[in-house]
Amino acid sequence: MRLFGLYGRTQDTLWTLIAAPAIWGVHFLFSYFYAAYRCAPNADIFASIGGTRIVVGIATVAALVLIGLVFRRAWVEWQAKGGTVRHDRDTAEDREHFLEFSTVLLAALSFVAVAFDVMPVLLIGDCR
Amino acid sequence: MNVLHAIAGLLLLLLLSACTGAQSAFDTGGVEAERVLGMFWIMVVGAAVIWIFVIGLSCYVTRVSPRAVDDRIGIRLIIWGGCVFPTLVLAGLLFWGLGMMPELRRPADGPTIAVSGERFWWRVAYDVEGGPGVVRNLPPGGVPSANEIWLPVGQRSTILLGSPDVIHSFWAPSLAGKMDAIPGRVNRLVMEPTRTGVYNGVCAEFCGEAHAQMGFRVVVVSEQEYAAYVRAQAAPAAVTQGPGVDLFLRNGCAACHSVRGTTADGQIGPDLTHVASRRTIGAGLLPTTPENIAAFIRSTDHVKPGVEMPSFGMLPEAEVTAIAQWLGSLE
Amino acid sequence: MSETTRQGASDRDQEDEAVRRAQEERLRKVWAAPKGWRYWSAVNNTEVGVWYTALSFAFMLFAGVLALIMRAQLAVPENNLVTPDFYNQAFTLHGTAMMFLFAVPIFEAVAIILLPQLLGARDLPFPRLSAFGFWCFLIGGVFVCGSIFFGAAPTGGWFMYPPLTTEERFTPGYGADIWLLGLSFIEVASIAAAIELIVGTLKCRPPGMRLNLMPLYAWYVLVVAGMILFAFPPLIAGDILFELERLFDWPFFDPTRGGDPVLWQHLFWIFGHPEVYIVFLPAIALLAMIIPTFAQRPILGYSWIVLAAVGTGFISFGLWVHHMYTTGLPAISLGFFSAASEAVAIPTGVQIFVFLATLMTGRVIYSVPMLFVSGFLAIFVIGGLTGVMVAIAPFDWQAHDTYFVVAHLHYVLIGGMLFPVVAGVFYYWPMISGRKLSDRLGRLAFWLMFVGFNVAFFPMHFSGLAGMPRRVWTYPEALGLELPNLVSTIGAFVFAAGILTIVYDVLRPRGSEPYAKRNPWNAGTLEWLAEMPGENWGVRSVPVITSRYPIWQQPNFIDDVDKGRFYLPDAEEMKRETIVSSVLDGEPEQCLRVPGPSFMPMISAFLTGAVFILATFHYWYATIAFMALATVSIMIWLWRGTAIIPEKPEKDVGRGLKLPLYTSGPISVGWWAMFITMTGDVTAFIGLIFGYYYFFTIHEDFPPPSGAGPGVVWPMVSLGLFLAAWGAAWLALERNRARRIGAARVLMGAGAGAALSAAAVLLWGPFATGLDPASHVYPATVWVLAIWTAAHGAVGALMLLYCLARSLAGRFTSDHDIDIANVTLYWHFMAGTALVTVATLALFPLAA
Repeated sequence: MRLFGLYGRTQDTLWTLIAAPAIWGVHFLFSYFYAAYRCAPNADIFASIGGTRIVVGIATVAALVLIGLVFRRAWVEWQAKGGTVRHDRDTAEDREHFLEFSTVLLAALSFVAVAFDVMPVLLIGDCR
Repeated sequence: MNVLHAIAGLLLLLLLSACTGAQSAFDTGGVEAERVLGMFWIMVVGAAVIWIFVIGLSCYVTRVSPRAVDDRIGIRLIIWGGCVFPTLVLAGLLFWGLGMMPELRRPADGPTIAVSGERFWWRVAYDVEGGPGVVRNLPPGGVPSANEIWLPVGQRSTILLGSPDVIHSFWAPSLAGKMDAIPGRVNRLVMEPTRTGVYNGVCAEFCGEAHAQMGFRVVVVSEQEYAAYVRAQAAPAAVTQGPGVDLFLRNGCAACHSVRGTTADGQIGPDLTHVASRRTIGAGLLPTTPENIAAFIRSTDHVKPGVEMPSFGMLPEAEVTAIAQWLGSLE
Repeated sequence: MSETTRQGASDRDQEDEAVRRAQEERLRKVWAAPKGWRYWSAVNNTEVGVWYTALSFAFMLFAGVLALIMRAQLAVPENNLVTPDFYNQAFTLHGTAMMFLFAVPIFEAVAIILLPQLLGARDLPFPRLSAFGFWCFLIGGVFVCGSIFFGAAPTGGWFMYPPLTTEERFTPGYGADIWLLGLSFIEVASIAAAIELIVGTLKCRPPGMRLNLMPLYAWYVLVVAGMILFAFPPLIAGDILFELERLFDWPFFDPTRGGDPVLWQHLFWIFGHPEVYIVFLPAIALLAMIIPTFAQRPILGYSWIVLAAVGTGFISFGLWVHHMYTTGLPAISLGFFSAASEAVAIPTGVQIFVFLATLMTGRVIYSVPMLFVSGFLAIFVIGGLTGVMVAIAPFDWQAHDTYFVVAHLHYVLIGGMLFPVVAGVFYYWPMISGRKLSDRLGRLAFWLMFVGFNVAFFPMHFSGLAGMPRRVWTYPEALGLELPNLVSTIGAFVFAAGILTIVYDVLRPRGSEPYAKRNPWNAGTLEWLAEMPGENWGVRSVPVITSRYPIWQQPNFIDDVDKGRFYLPDAEEMKRETIVSSVLDGEPEQCLRVPGPSFMPMISAFLTGAVFILATFHYWYATIAFMALATVSIMIWLWRGTAIIPEKPEKDVGRGLKLPLYTSGPISVGWWAMFITMTGDVTAFIGLIFGYYYFFTIHEDFPPPSGAGPGVVWPMVSLGLFLAAWGAAWLALERNRARRIGAARVLMGAGAGAALSAAAVLLWGPFATGLDPASHVYPATVWVLAIWTAAHGAVGALMLLYCLARSLAGRFTSDHDIDIANVTLYWHFMAGTALVTVATLALFPLAA
């Protein structure tokens, strides 16, 4: 749970940096594979797949919440240390700052990407 | 900026020339092609505005005014120009594009036509039963034909696409987007022509040596004409006796071709029962005349390199002519 | 032995010129490239990188000539200049060579040259691996391209869609086999380069270069090499299935026996779309170095670039189906990929705006490299915008497989990759050769290329939508396609004239033209420490980094480096050395001895190449013989060249710092290389597993309900043996560290035995139940998974035996245990592979 900064401070690494896009990746693959599995029998392409859409919707909410937590943790820690955007000094704090700010940006991008991913589920209701 | 002028001029010229073709996405005759073309023009205008802004800005900051401005302005440019604006525009475009898909693929109310892409021609069967479903091969039956597909205007016709050999792609640009014909699968494409006429189609997925010459025609007619056409195609051949028929059978043409009403019932090549009623031979290649039929029989591999049908150049001239005369009479 | 070897570097007086002279003498001698015919045994990045770059460009010119032949054929309708068969060979090789032999290798080549310079390292951590990669590339590339001179080149397109390419009746001859085996070989080389570059970026940075101070180029290298690691293995998995179908008739893609041609499209494009960004990002990386120099300021928005690079790296793996919009997949599936395809435009836009903002907030000096940067912007932005269009599925249904897409992809690749690379050539040429390229010829080349490119490719947007499909050797009259095609052909030749101008400028004899002054563009990053002309040693001393642009921001920096006031100013023991540092903060951890010249990489590459080439022509006995020879040569290379126990435990590298000469475990570069290699290996394995579950979703009877599988008992026995071997390897590592060497040796031997038995038992399962792989896709899939895992078990056994032999020979000890440490790491991955394989083959059918 420390990853999401629910308590304590975390040391940022390359792994925390890629947490948000990795959540996007898992959500993306899950959504695609789940819908593809549902539609694979190809039997009645005009039958509603409401259940699948709900599951993908729940997964989307979960992914957005997780990315939100990653964002919040990085944001809070970044702001706590002044929230500057220049981190080019030779200190461990600046390296930490840099990773936090980059994590904030990547989390924002991942959030948008997941939000885009939910649009097909909203607009398309069957396997046609 | 002379270059830009030149490009703009060229663009206009090309557009004019591009609009005259019978197989152009700019020259629409179907609902899908019309809607996509409208979308295209809107995207082009948007893209042009964005391009002019980006390139204008880059010219300004490098050539016109290479002075330094404050960093905060730069960061603002990144945030608004690089993040916020693209996100909003892309979200809007995505919403529009996604919404269009189920709309274009909604259920059809017209006839169902099976089209099989085969190296290097199109097997056609009118009024087949069944949908894509779980089947892995095109439904059998229907009224056979080849390389020419008639559609009733104003109706949503279903084209079921399959293939027994390699992957092909069925594309009549003036009517709708393309759809692949994949071995082991049956794909569905809906076409809703809005005006009558003859349109060109091509194979869009590389399928081998004669891929470039695997065309077809789509003929859009009224509902009554369509019904009459399919009835006529279902009938046996108009001429089933004569020297042409005998030579056709004797030289082994029947191993691949069917002419209903004769004993020729080969299933490998196109059904020739009404070959003369079709506008072209060789899959959209040559106008249907007895001379062209004869030329095709004599040297298929010259007219259409890579074609599966062997050349019959060894046959005496008179025999080829007789066969071609007979086939040319099969309206 | 003089005094120098007894005292450490810290005790030297670097202000004494005589001391410095002697140090330089030693460094020069240690890093010198071999002379005469032995030159080709060189492994240093300054040699191998240049060979690699030159060869990539040669393949580009070859593929460019093919393009000109195609354009000449298409100049007028119904032309008969070339036969359709030749045309099909030409477009197949054009795409193949441009992608596999130019676009990806040029990234690796340039990175091999630049990365050590940028990181102030003397070389990359595994120079012999780079050399091996180069020789593989040479052999594979010549093999694939040479085939066209025998009329035997592949004709199936660079995407090689089955069944057209898998069945002899459609594509007789060796063309498809040459493509598959030749390129599989090159893919292995690419992955080798990726491993080298990832380890180089993470572990070979100079002291003090924290992650936030890394040059942006290094960030891009890290991201792109990571992408290669995940993108190429699925293609290798696909290649394996493909080649098994072509050679042995295993029906993975044959629908009449349960296969599905669309599976190949998935595996190909899971590779193929990230590939586009693998090509594009390194070119952008060059711009991220060039633009700050010409704006004369640090990049504005460093974090934004990192965001863009990492974000693109991830999202680019969610785009592959946009190459398959017309395969009839459900709209909802297309929708997900449409969404990701639009989302990826955001980070790409961010990069463009970071560049614009940097230029806006700097004082721009305009020059030839900047001219190409402007060309990049004008062309690439069009490519990006048409990319946003084709990402919308309904529009793509029209544009797909037409000249519109040909225009789009060339705008992206030539604008987004070739123009930046040429900018990089003009920018970095002084670093390579010591002299600048001509400004006058540069401007001429730019205008020829820019105008020629647009005249050639802009009309294709229109010819495509006007009904011209791709990959047609001719087109009929009267469709309005004549004019745009003629214009395109003229433009293509103008463009080619521009390329030739650059080739001339690069190759023209320079005579006594003076060398450029040092740091000729007044740049701020480490690579410009290079002297004109450069020295083979890279940097005179490995600097301490405290800023992003040290030459601009660290006072007296160049002088301190030159006078050897930083680390490793000497080569006292006459060994090639560089510094290994920690991932986050670049704290020095080890003084790494890197290997020098050797013919072993070349010999191993030729023997490995022979395996692939002989397999192409079905010489099975010779293939097996060469497989054994290649294995032996690699073993000799490893035995003699790796994990060498140093003469002393640590070394004074200067400034009072002592570093160990030998490390094992996660500090060492070898451990990282194994970890990264196995990540790629597991990705390929996941590709095969994906195949299994893919068939499960599309077939009612996969796996067959009758239980006609490999059974449960034998696979479970095999799993038990695999886990025993894994435990033995792990315990051997632990016992060896505890100085129980005898026990460790027994464990290594027992582990190897268990592994070999496990492999044999795993294969026995499907054999005993009589699964015939040619009969249906189910047995074929079972067999391929079993063979994959069994082969990995055999390799694992070989590794344990190798460790045992090293232990007996005294080449690894309780304190120097990198061999068994790395092999144990292999076995961690191996155990996972065995577990998943057996669960899939034996247990899943019970649950399904």
